[in-house]
Amino acid sequence: MSTLTPTATPRGATPGPAHPSKPAHRVTFPRVLHSEWIKFSTLRSTVWTLGSTVVVMAGVSFLAVFFTARDAFSSKTSPEEAAPLVALLHNPSIVVTGADLALLAVAVLGVLVITGEYTTGMIRSTLTAVPRRLPALWAKALVLAATAAVTAAGATALSWAVSLPTLSAHDAAIDLGDPQTQRILIGGVLYLVTISLLAFAIGAILRVSAGALATVLGLLLVVENLFRAIPADFFRNVSPFLPATAGHQITATQATIEQARATSSAPVLDPWLGYGVMFLWVAVLLAVAAVLLRRRDA
Amino acid sequence: MIIAESLSKTYGPKRAVDGISFTVAPGKVTGFLGPNGAGKSTTMRMIVGLDRPTHGTVTVNGCPYAQHRSPLTEVGALLEAKAVHTGRSAANHLRAVAATHGFGRARIEEVIEMTGLQTVAGRRVGGFSLGMGQRLGIAVALLGDPQTLILDEPVNGLDPEGVLWVRNLMRELATQGRTVFLSSHLMSEMALTADHILVIGRGRIIADASVADIIGRSSGTTVLVRSPQATELVDLLRGPDITATSVEAGLVEISGTTAQVIGETAAAAGLVLHELAPRKGSLEDSYMALTADAVEYHSASTTPATSTTDPALSAAGTVTEEQQ
Repeated sequence: MSTLTPTATPRGATPGPAHPSKPAHRVTFPRVLHSEWIKFSTLRSTVWTLGSTVVVMAGVSFLAVFFTARDAFSSKTSPEEAAPLVALLHNPSIVVTGADLALLAVAVLGVLVITGEYTTGMIRSTLTAVPRRLPALWAKALVLAATAAVTAAGATALSWAVSLPTLSAHDAAIDLGDPQTQRILIGGVLYLVTISLLAFAIGAILRVSAGALATVLGLLLVVENLFRAIPADFFRNVSPFLPATAGHQITATQATIEQARATSSAPVLDPWLGYGVMFLWVAVLLAVAAVLLRRRDA
Repeated sequence: MIIAESLSKTYGPKRAVDGISFTVAPGKVTGFLGPNGAGKSTTMRMIVGLDRPTHGTVTVNGCPYAQHRSPLTEVGALLEAKAVHTGRSAANHLRAVAATHGFGRARIEEVIEMTGLQTVAGRRVGGFSLGMGQRLGIAVALLGDPQTLILDEPVNGLDPEGVLWVRNLMRELATQGRTVFLSSHLMSEMALTADHILVIGRGRIIADASVADIIGRSSGTTVLVRSPQATELVDLLRGPDITATSVEAGLVEISGTTAQVIGETAAAAGLVLHELAPRKGSLEDSYMALTADAVEYHSASTTPATSTTDPALSAAGTVTEEQQ
């Protein structure tokens, strides 16, 4: 009943003992990528996380726009109070306000994509099929980055669409042709993608879901905010270089940055420099994850 | 063909595998036996590159596993049931593994059918029984139609039909000239499935021999003799190497001589024999004898190896009185 049918044997090769290596079935990077895509798309949790990224981002952006506009043009608001709110409404960054919360969803996704394999034992199937190991890590990172990018782009587009009626009503519709606006919208997508890779790298290093989630969320929610809030020079000088704080600059207008520079003695990074700093963090963490993956027992 | 040369693995202060060398040849089923913690799983994990050896090397079909361009067509491995994401269905798990080597949908359906997973292939693995997980693991191992199979406790959790199926499958794969290497702690299972056995204890190879040789090495064959004149017969047989144990009235177990000698002695003295049955030591006995010193985790009530094969007999053995 259990004959191993020679379907996996290429035509012309003789089945039986010493069949030569089967070049038709070599492990190639595109194949590993395909495998990682199958793994990614066949888990309900990834679908849910991606969906919630879109909903959270568009929802928060809409609420920010809606309530800023309501307060700015309310009869109860004094002209002095209204001015900064109107300015906020005309700042294209307001459309990607939701990214600050959506980053939690992509961070969780980034962690679980890799730690889910360790906690279930799946990693042993993965590494047995791809014993060189690194192609699996890169393929996984690529699938994560690509889906995070598509999701973040969709979430940004939806954020723009749901904010449009309110902004238009107050003549504050953002100009999509403006290079700075384009940088902010694309930057918001890059920011979320890079956050997901940061979380992925930490997940790959720690390998345990709970520990990695605590570390990533602790870094994003606690450590970075603490450094920003503590008014000691050391913290204020380090804070701009922490990954999420640095990367966040990509969604700030030049005017906001100039204003920050005028009011603070601490360094304020330019948009692309800030993103570069964040990217460097991710590159270093991914390199550490790669070295550890090669070295450690699975 | 699997060749290990002075393979060692150390976890902290503990030496799990201690410089073992062995060859697993194609065309037969090789069993890998050892008590818990003896180093079986660690050795298997090193073969497929999941664990890095502290010292030594191990090659499969000529080179280290990780250097094969198409590893799953060289080696199919089942190292633990449920090395699978619990949120994914069995079919999707197979698809994901198959995709790394470009195995087609047809092959996936074949292994699903071979392992009897048709009805549950669409269900999430999290809800699988141990036996179902085991079948899925075997399906993954067979995906690449591999030359070499490495299976850690493949019958663990399987129902009797599944055990029989695995046994036949392994025998058939070996007959086709493949290398089949499987571990088990079920000695009786090994006796039925394996041609050759490696016994490991405390990280070292204790025995590397054919099943027949290992059984032959057992403390000696015993002969069960039923005779109304058993006492006279035992008196006639008395000698320095011969032990006789009375099992019940008229039934003695004699070791240290052969059935031929006993039969001839009885005939010469005109004694009546109702039964004269040589009993081979079981693989289990030999295994217990071999690993007695090498067992890492002794249970409180471990009984020393006795040459009993039959549970009924060993129960009767409690009322045994030494006659000699």
